Amino acid sequence: MKGTPPVNTHPHERPRILLHDPTLRDGHHAVGHQLDADQLRAYATAANAAAVPVVEVGHGNGLGASSLQIGRSKLDDAMMLTTVREALTSSRMGVFMAPGWGTSDDLEAAVHHGADIVRIAAHCTEADVTERHLGVVRDLGAEAQGVLLMSHMTDPGELAEQCALMVKFGAQAVGIMDSAGHYLPSDVTERVHAIADAVDVTVIFHGHNNLGLAVANSLAAVDAGATVIDATARGFGAGAGNTQLEVLVAVLERRGAETGIGLREVLAAADIAADRLMKTPPSIDSIAVASGLAGVFSGFKRPVLQTARAEGVDPIDLFLALGERQVVAGQEDLIGVVARQLKASTR
Amino acid sequence: MAADEQSLRVAVLGAGLIGVDLTDKIHQSQKLELALVAGRDRDSLGLRRAAEMGHSTTAGGIRAVLDTGPFDVVFDATNADSHAEHWAALRPTGTTLIDLTPTELGTVIVPGVNSHRSAAHRHVNLVSCGGQAAIPILYAISEHCTPTYIEVVSTGASASAGRATRLNLDQYIATTSAAIRTFTGTRDVKVMVNLSPARPAPPFRVAMTVLAGSFRAAPIRTSIAAAAQAVRAYTPGFKVTSLAVDPGRISAAVEVTACGGRLPPHAGSVDIINAAAVLLAEQSR
Repeated sequence: MKGTPPVNTHPHERPRILLHDPTLRDGHHAVGHQLDADQLRAYATAANAAAVPVVEVGHGNGLGASSLQIGRSKLDDAMMLTTVREALTSSRMGVFMAPGWGTSDDLEAAVHHGADIVRIAAHCTEADVTERHLGVVRDLGAEAQGVLLMSHMTDPGELAEQCALMVKFGAQAVGIMDSAGHYLPSDVTERVHAIADAVDVTVIFHGHNNLGLAVANSLAAVDAGATVIDATARGFGAGAGNTQLEVLVAVLERRGAETGIGLREVLAAADIAADRLMKTPPSIDSIAVASGLAGVFSGFKRPVLQTARAEGVDPIDLFLALGERQVVAGQEDLIGVVARQLKASTR
Repeated sequence: MAADEQSLRVAVLGAGLIGVDLTDKIHQSQKLELALVAGRDRDSLGLRRAAEMGHSTTAGGIRAVLDTGPFDVVFDATNADSHAEHWAALRPTGTTLIDLTPTELGTVIVPGVNSHRSAAHRHVNLVSCGGQAAIPILYAISEHCTPTYIEVVSTGASASAGRATRLNLDQYIATTSAAIRTFTGTRDVKVMVNLSPARPAPPFRVAMTVLAGSFRAAPIRTSIAAAAQAVRAYTPGFKVTSLAVDPGRISAAVEVTACGGRLPPHAGSVDIINAAAVLLAEQSR
């Protein structure tokens, strides 16, 4: 074990890592939020059979986010949650909501439909928008978690402060999302360390694979003290996709960490995801590299490609220009504006 | 500013981002005399600033307003959760209460759309900053078609949203949606809010999408231009930055850059709702 830092304070116990699976939520970005009930049921059943501890479901941007701006989902929130809830016998069901996209009414409905874990999300410096809704989740009796989106846009100290705020508001676990797939492992180490030092609750990390580092970054997060790691089957997710669940299970096995997930079962679930949820698994195409480097939300890939085609501009130029504007998820209305500015400037 | 005999005696309740700028705007008004700024924290920036400008201040909140009153107009720039209590306390005093929090208690007024009705009401609600920016445009559109769906997404700079705004996002969404339904006669309305961490901070932006059956593009464009011109009369930094009128779908975006005063340019959200509030107060007699 030389060279392998201990992950927890009990050297004789294998560190326990909880894998949180947003395949049926973040994966929605890859298919325009169009998963149907059969698809949700098939994957939720397989994940449950693999003992994946948390299966998160919903529109790609979470509760209440189905819209022309972000994309309309095939099924409404109630239908998605009911379908997945019925398929889970041991796994817990998770949902995601960003204040401003969803409201307390959506949270009440979600818990009513059986959500066990509710994540309240805010852009990296905006944790104080989570105060009301973290309180609502606690009052509803579900587990409340707080996550910071687009976390590469600010520094480790600020992220730690923002996470501490969310703990003050009632979050029982807090962490960061690398929404643009921009981090290197050293970035993750520094940030997770800072957060773990600032809070006394579980730390969460959620990676994206634009620079091919999602699994490595997740491992760095574990080594720095994160104990909830997000990962999706086949990496199903926006753009280059997320941290690949079945790979992470294998990697953590090698790392000596305990996930409680059987490899054969998770491989079977991933095969079902590949077969039922996606035409092709996510890949790191040129667009994905550019968006990761530019630090733009991976979920912009589909609308950026559509707009670039319609306006006759290079999608990579468009991603880089959006990166300069520091756009965040939810600002999809700027894609057309920036594309037309690009077009005008190159004329 | 020397107040003449015709001026209205007003008080500002709340000393956050909205209250501070209201203080500045009232200070510049020829028709309003700022008699009291009431906050709850003596050390807050808002109260200190108002005191520096020579205004009378108190950390006594609504109680102090009642004790010092009556006022011709009170602006409520506190928190949606406190507003009902403020109205209950002020109602018997005959004061006109202009509510800048997102509640649905007062009569909803948007200048240029229905401000001719404001003088008749003693309890006025200004919807939200997003509502003030979107409704003039949406109302103009709905004069020429029957929308089946309206979606409004506002994006404000992080620094332009204070604590009450952040706590009140649910009420902001509910109040803005309800006002859009009322003014456009459209049942299916969705409102979303983003706060942007980008630096430098971007201007306040409101993107609107209207789905409707058949309509002619030209009158819609003309009405939108006229509505924008009318808003610019009291919020000079208001601008329609994009407009696409396609079959079945109209997409428009407006941006508001704060002009003049001490507001930073990105605080257009504060500028537009406060400019509306001062305008209505001036017209309240």
